[in-house]
Amino acid sequence: MIYVIDHNDSFTHNVVHQFALFDSVECDQYGEINEKKLKQASTIVFSPGPGNPKNYPITSKIYKKFKGKKKMIGICLGFQHILFCEGAKIIEQKKIYHGFQSNIKVVNNKSMFKKGKIFKVGRYHSLKLKEPFQSNNFEITMRCLTSKVAMAFENDKEKIYGFQFHPESFLTINGNVLIKKILSA
Amino acid sequence: MNKQNQLTEIHQSGKPYIIYKSQKGFDLYTDFSKKIILNSKNVKSFLGKKNKKKSKNTDLFIGFFGYELLNNLIDIKLPKQKNFNFPKGIFYKPEKRLKLSNNLKYSLKNFESGSFKININRKTYTNIFNRFKKKIKSGETYQIKICTKYKTESKIDPLDFFSRLSTSNLAPEAFMIKDTNYSIISCSPENLITKTGNDISTKPIAGTVKKTKHLNKIKALSYFRKNLKETKEHNMIVDMERNDLSRICKVGSVKLSKQKIVEEYKDLFHYVSLIKGKLKKNINNLDIIKAMMPGGSVIGCPKINTLNLLNNLEKENRNIYTGSFGYIKFNGDMRFNIIIRSILNFKNISEISVASGVVVDSNANHEFNENFIKAKALIDLFK
Repeated sequence: MIYVIDHNDSFTHNVVHQFALFDSVECDQYGEINEKKLKQASTIVFSPGPGNPKNYPITSKIYKKFKGKKKMIGICLGFQHILFCEGAKIIEQKKIYHGFQSNIKVVNNKSMFKKGKIFKVGRYHSLKLKEPFQSNNFEITMRCLTSKVAMAFENDKEKIYGFQFHPESFLTINGNVLIKKILSA
Repeated sequence: MNKQNQLTEIHQSGKPYIIYKSQKGFDLYTDFSKKIILNSKNVKSFLGKKNKKKSKNTDLFIGFFGYELLNNLIDIKLPKQKNFNFPKGIFYKPEKRLKLSNNLKYSLKNFESGSFKININRKTYTNIFNRFKKKIKSGETYQIKICTKYKTESKIDPLDFFSRLSTSNLAPEAFMIKDTNYSIISCSPENLITKTGNDISTKPIAGTVKKTKHLNKIKALSYFRKNLKETKEHNMIVDMERNDLSRICKVGSVKLSKQKIVEEYKDLFHYVSLIKGKLKKNINNLDIIKAMMPGGSVIGCPKINTLNLLNNLEKENRNIYTGSFGYIKFNGDMRFNIIIRSILNFKNISEISVASGVVVDSNANHEFNENFIKAKALIDLFK
């Protein structure tokens, strides 16, 4: 079972429907997180949401508790949240991407996706990862073709993955393929 | 007696009635056997009530949910705001339905009114606008719609206004309510819920451009496509409505059936998408209303955080504005719009509310003017 933690977003249920194509999914709002479901889940997904990772301390606790024990996936805010827990700084960006379709590129040969491959994706983010960033086993694997902002990380060793863009958006072409691949990783 | 005379007779009798746009003309509902005034306590039981199976075309409740009530339904409390105690929602059970043509032929132009005053001046608006822009930069909201109101003292005949409005702008979700102590006149273009059996759809509008001699439908489409700001706002609404439908629909059933098309109306072009889904089993009326309302395109995104931000800065109750009008049939089918482009007449005051969006690249001055243009079409009826 995949357990989605909803950071009160208006895109979370698109995420739920996308993951539900591959496995059973449970979803609860931040603030109504169910310990039993957390334990049962094989994968935990941190949803997109408004604000900054530091506004969601319970998510940080969950991440630290299950790191290395369960597969964890972060989307948008969830992506930032995992990196934040790994010591990254999450900062405002000059140009903001809301409802924006961009081209992103696989830039790392440690990625499970082919280096050089380009994806068209939907973006909804005010904040971004401050770089340089380094943490054990974490690789930045995709970047925006024009701004070079970090768009995905993979930690294959501990099965932790994140996307700054929205694989579930109608603006993302072949989003289901991306999700299928990290779920079977 | 012909239908035109019947309309005039019902109107002059003083009894309450409702007109709602149908595919070919208008439907008129009257002879109300029940009137339910909604509040945050009785709304759930109203929506949960099982009615006998539909047998007649009047087996339905028709009316509206105000903005505050829709907030309450999703557990959002409004701070104390200025309001004139207009009911939070009212539904009626009609016993008679009459089909009318598009031409209502009832123009009196006999009314009294003062001049409209705005509740937020340009300076205050800019102030609120800039505060929201900071919230967008910090990621607390991605898009937010600030409401401004225009009000005047007035004494009007609602059918006169509605008939003139329908002549100039025959909107697909237009409606009018005339009751003994209030009336609403609306040329809403936006359908929020159409539900038939297990099929449900929503048709958000994001992007409007005025028709001119030089701007035809094809040029309007290329205008919208080239306009990055309109495109991004629209994209956001599409993903948000997909999300709201996904709360209540079967996995894999939510589909974008029309993506970013242009619809042509008498004076304007709208940039529209149509999203459809199939309801999960055991979804009830309350689940549907809570998932879909208040309609995202008039609030901003993400919904909950944006509602809280809005409610804390708007000093005046939105009343009907950005609520929903429509009907629920006894068999569970329903149709609801979003209440925009409307005049609320209550206690000899006419109130017109409008809103436009703050996104990261919008401009306060432009949006303030945009609001006035939206209101002007309705204010002009008072001339």
